[in-house]
Amino acid sequence: MEHEDGKTDDAEKAVNGSLALDSASLEELRDVPASMDAFLAAIERRAWRMAEIHLGNRDDALDAVQDAMLRLVRHYGEKPAQEWTPLFWGILRRRIVDLQRRRKVRSIVVGWIGGGQDDDGADLPVWEPADDAPDPSARLQDSQAYGDIVEAVRKLPRRQREAFTFRIMEGLDVAETAAAMGCSDGSVKTHLSRAMHALREHLEAWR
Amino acid sequence: MSQHDHELERRARDLYLRASRDVDPATAGRLRAARRTALAGPTAHSAARRLLIPAGAFAVVALATLMVWQPLGGPSPAPPAVMQAADGSDPTDLPPDADSTDPSLYKDLQFYSWLAYNDAGSQGRSNK
Repeated sequence: MEHEDGKTDDAEKAVNGSLALDSASLEELRDVPASMDAFLAAIERRAWRMAEIHLGNRDDALDAVQDAMLRLVRHYGEKPAQEWTPLFWGILRRRIVDLQRRRKVRSIVVGWIGGGQDDDGADLPVWEPADDAPDPSARLQDSQAYGDIVEAVRKLPRRQREAFTFRIMEGLDVAETAAAMGCSDGSVKTHLSRAMHALREHLEAWR
Repeated sequence: MSQHDHELERRARDLYLRASRDVDPATAGRLRAARRTALAGPTAHSAARRLLIPAGAFAVVALATLMVWQPLGGPSPAPPAVMQAADGSDPTDLPPDADSTDPSLYKDLQFYSWLAYNDAGSQGRSNK
């Protein structure tokens, strides 16, 4: 494929690099990106998975990632490339929290206007956005192991969930996780310790 | 940290990375489009909105300043000289209130007007 400039090549290399990821090669990905395009290309799929874990909805996750990309380029594009990683995850985290709060408010409003109970007075399920998008990778979603870990992580309190997903799943170091979460290194360690304790119980079958 | 914790961390990370690698083509395409949009910079629409917000704020401030400088309910300027009664009568004399006046007065308005005109004329002649 021909490209107009070298930037697209960088982005394609980054996407290909991220496709070949495993735990060991994740560290190599932490190298300073060649361009913003390459950085976003390398991170976009993991960002979407991360948002999906937190939000439980594919379209909301896509919105969150798109917004985080826009904000990073618009407000922090001039920052040194070394700072993009914690900045991006921090922006995405705030966007996820915004969407979760908005969803909660919508649930309350739907409850107020009569959506909370049916004619017999029984509680209706809390409103959730429809998520009927086709998922060709359902085999992965349905795989027992990934389903188990996602379900267990979603049961964690928000701050513990953030600490676990950023520090363990995404592999940020403690300082980067603290920057993304907007808290101290000590708080990250505390949240992570509690998250691990809870997950150990939830994932007893993994022993 | 126990061996079990290390194993849990490793498996969680591997599953997450594998799930990220196996994103379906439709979602991957939408992510690519989102990246292109972000890198293309602000759209004309958002640029226009960025200009409109300060322009609107400026208009509000200007209007508020104008209201403070020249309040709408302030004292009105004196009526021009042409508004003064031509016949020299007291300008504070108002026409009779329609609600409290005998309706027959309005029926014969032309007569009263003629009478007042003649009365004023005769007073002018007697003053001479």
